[in-house]
Amino acid sequence: MYRYDEFDETLVRERAKQFRGQVERRLKGELKEENFKPLRLQNGVYLQLHAYMLRVAIPYGQLSAKKLRQLAMIADKYDKGYGHFTTRQNIQFNWIKLAEIPDALEALADVEMHAIQTSGNCIRNVTSDHLAGAAFDELEDPRPWCEIIRQWSTFHPEFSALPRKFKIAVTAATPDRAAVKVHDIGLVMKRNTQGKTGFEVMVGGGLGRTPYIGPTVREWVSKQDLLSYLEAIMRVYNRYGRRDNKYKARVKILVHELGVPEFARQVEEEFANQNAREKVLLPQEEVDRITAYFAPPKFETLSTKSATLDAAIAAEHHFARWCRNNLRAHKIPGYTCVHIALKPQGVAPGDASSAQMRAAADIAEKYAFDDIRVAHEQDLVLPHVKLDDVPAVYAALKANDMHASNAGLGSDIIACPGLDYCNLSNARSISVANEIQALFADPEFEDEVGALHINVSGCINACGHHHVGHIGILGVDKKGEEFYQILFGGRADEKAAIGEIQGPGLRHEEVAPALKRVISKYLELRTSKTEKLADAMTRLGQAPFKEALYAAA
Amino acid sequence: MSSERPKLGPDIPKVITAWVSATGRVVYLTKDRNWSEDLADAEVLTGAGATDILAWASKDQTRVADPYFMQVTPDGKVAGRETIRETIRAKGPTNHPMFGKQAGNN
Ligand code: HEM
Ligand code: SF4
Repeated sequence: MYRYDEFDETLVRERAKQFRGQVERRLKGELKEENFKPLRLQNGVYLQLHAYMLRVAIPYGQLSAKKLRQLAMIADKYDKGYGHFTTRQNIQFNWIKLAEIPDALEALADVEMHAIQTSGNCIRNVTSDHLAGAAFDELEDPRPWCEIIRQWSTFHPEFSALPRKFKIAVTAATPDRAAVKVHDIGLVMKRNTQGKTGFEVMVGGGLGRTPYIGPTVREWVSKQDLLSYLEAIMRVYNRYGRRDNKYKARVKILVHELGVPEFARQVEEEFANQNAREKVLLPQEEVDRITAYFAPPKFETLSTKSATLDAAIAAEHHFARWCRNNLRAHKIPGYTCVHIALKPQGVAPGDASSAQMRAAADIAEKYAFDDIRVAHEQDLVLPHVKLDDVPAVYAALKANDMHASNAGLGSDIIACPGLDYCNLSNARSISVANEIQALFADPEFEDEVGALHINVSGCINACGHHHVGHIGILGVDKKGEEFYQILFGGRADEKAAIGEIQGPGLRHEEVAPALKRVISKYLELRTSKTEKLADAMTRLGQAPFKEALYAAA
Repeated sequence: MSSERPKLGPDIPKVITAWVSATGRVVYLTKDRNWSEDLADAEVLTGAGATDILAWASKDQTRVADPYFMQVTPDGKVAGRETIRETIRAKGPTNHPMFGKQAGNN
């Protein structure tokens, strides 16, 4: 994991100190809310329905036990004993008092954390594959590049007042687990025809009110040129991005309005015209220095099979199911990646109590090389666990009610805070998510249905990724009543697609029964168990499912 | 996105609501120009004069943030288009009955 140098440390501490002063001035009345708001937002502080909210950055979703314990401490001391992990691999505290936020920021600084770049029109926290450095299907570990981008983008004066927020995601695996195509810039590490590793660059993906899949603007850029190329993109965006209209200010609108070839041409021109002084130099020593922080842990040489694990699987039915659904292949024989689904029935997706955070920290320290990731599905992941240790990890998770065995299935729902917390919301999303989860209360039924992504957002901003769920749910307000539009056909992976709204919105209580009909229809129409709901929709079109959706119960 | 609240004409009964600057707690403006956490204490406003009171409230920045009009019934109960939002704001999140004013621990 990247470690702060003296400079980083000073900077983060200074920031917390400055904010303390700003809060004092605000509370003495020297700063009005309108003047204070931009300052608080630059420190991740929002005002939600019931209280202030603090959003803490978790760069590319990576945590250590020490950091996670500090988040648990903040949850206990300054909040209500829990935190909410988000689709941007960050964590939010929903009940924090403004007067105490400076203390919380100092506590974060103690563990090399902060809330910078979690709000405002800057380059936000860079996100990545939660299996980075562990996945068997990745080309290389993408995290050093996330860190390099983070360092380049943080406090870069040219990016401090962009037309709008800017999100970058990086993956180095062919199956895209980071939803890179719905980010302002998506980077996919790949080899060129000469076998050299670089990046494919997509620009202008995004969700929100105008969703787009990011088109490829350049098939391949070398590692050496990556930052210069990104800088060329940012310059074109800074120059022509629409500052006159907030709804047209994202880079996706610029790319769309100019057309991909013209946008790409302008970026290429900017890139070609950068003189030696403008090029962002990336000396190999610096790349090596940063890469060294992400050196793989000291893996043992193990067999691909574990007798201990196999015996435990044979002995316990629920454990067997959990292994089937929550383990992911690791690149080193004898190891696995453990998905901790923060999605037990009836809990707000992504919520974890302080006790659970501490438990995950203890487990990570004991069994997982002190490495914990936040997945954009609002789950936690232990990327490196020995197969032999899996039963013990499971037992420890179970003791803390963290053993939901539904990773990637129907009840592993992504949902934003919605109208229960969010000041921008139109409709509740958590309760809808919980009602849908209940459809999958029977594990056998859930397994029968298999891989399914259901994503819920409480308004058009799409924080709950509704456009890219196999089934997406969007809360809208209709004359003061909560209604939900249903989308089919979205995908967030390497075949990313934006879902289509099926028709009139449904009332809150109609959503789960309607989805039940859709799922029954799928079970009826699929060719076999291997044809997943998303595939069946591709093969058959959406019409039969739409019919089921609106069929009276 | 509905960060802007609906416009309420002069005839619609309304109260002024905001958040306490220091804590973020939800409050309502009372007749004596204080802020109460209890909607029952709020002054129900009707008529053109309400706008002046909101203008006054908007200057009370040391105590509160972002005051706005919220629709109520003539006897001061949450009403209108934003009933769900304002009920949740007044009570607490529906998914977490153990938190917020409904649990007395906000
Ligand atoms: C105080 C709470 C929040 C506020 C005010 C907020 C605000 C917004 C807004 C205004 C947008 C639309 C941006 C645009 O279309 O240009 C957006 C997008 C988004 N937000 Fe949030 N959000 C909040 C909470 C969250 C949470 C809890 C998550 C994660 C669960 C999240 C993740 C995202 C994502 C993934 C997007 C869409 C990606 C994109 O920008 O295109 N946000 N948010
Ligand atoms: S999608 Fe809308 S309701 Fe949900 S968190 Fe984002 S802004 Fe709030």
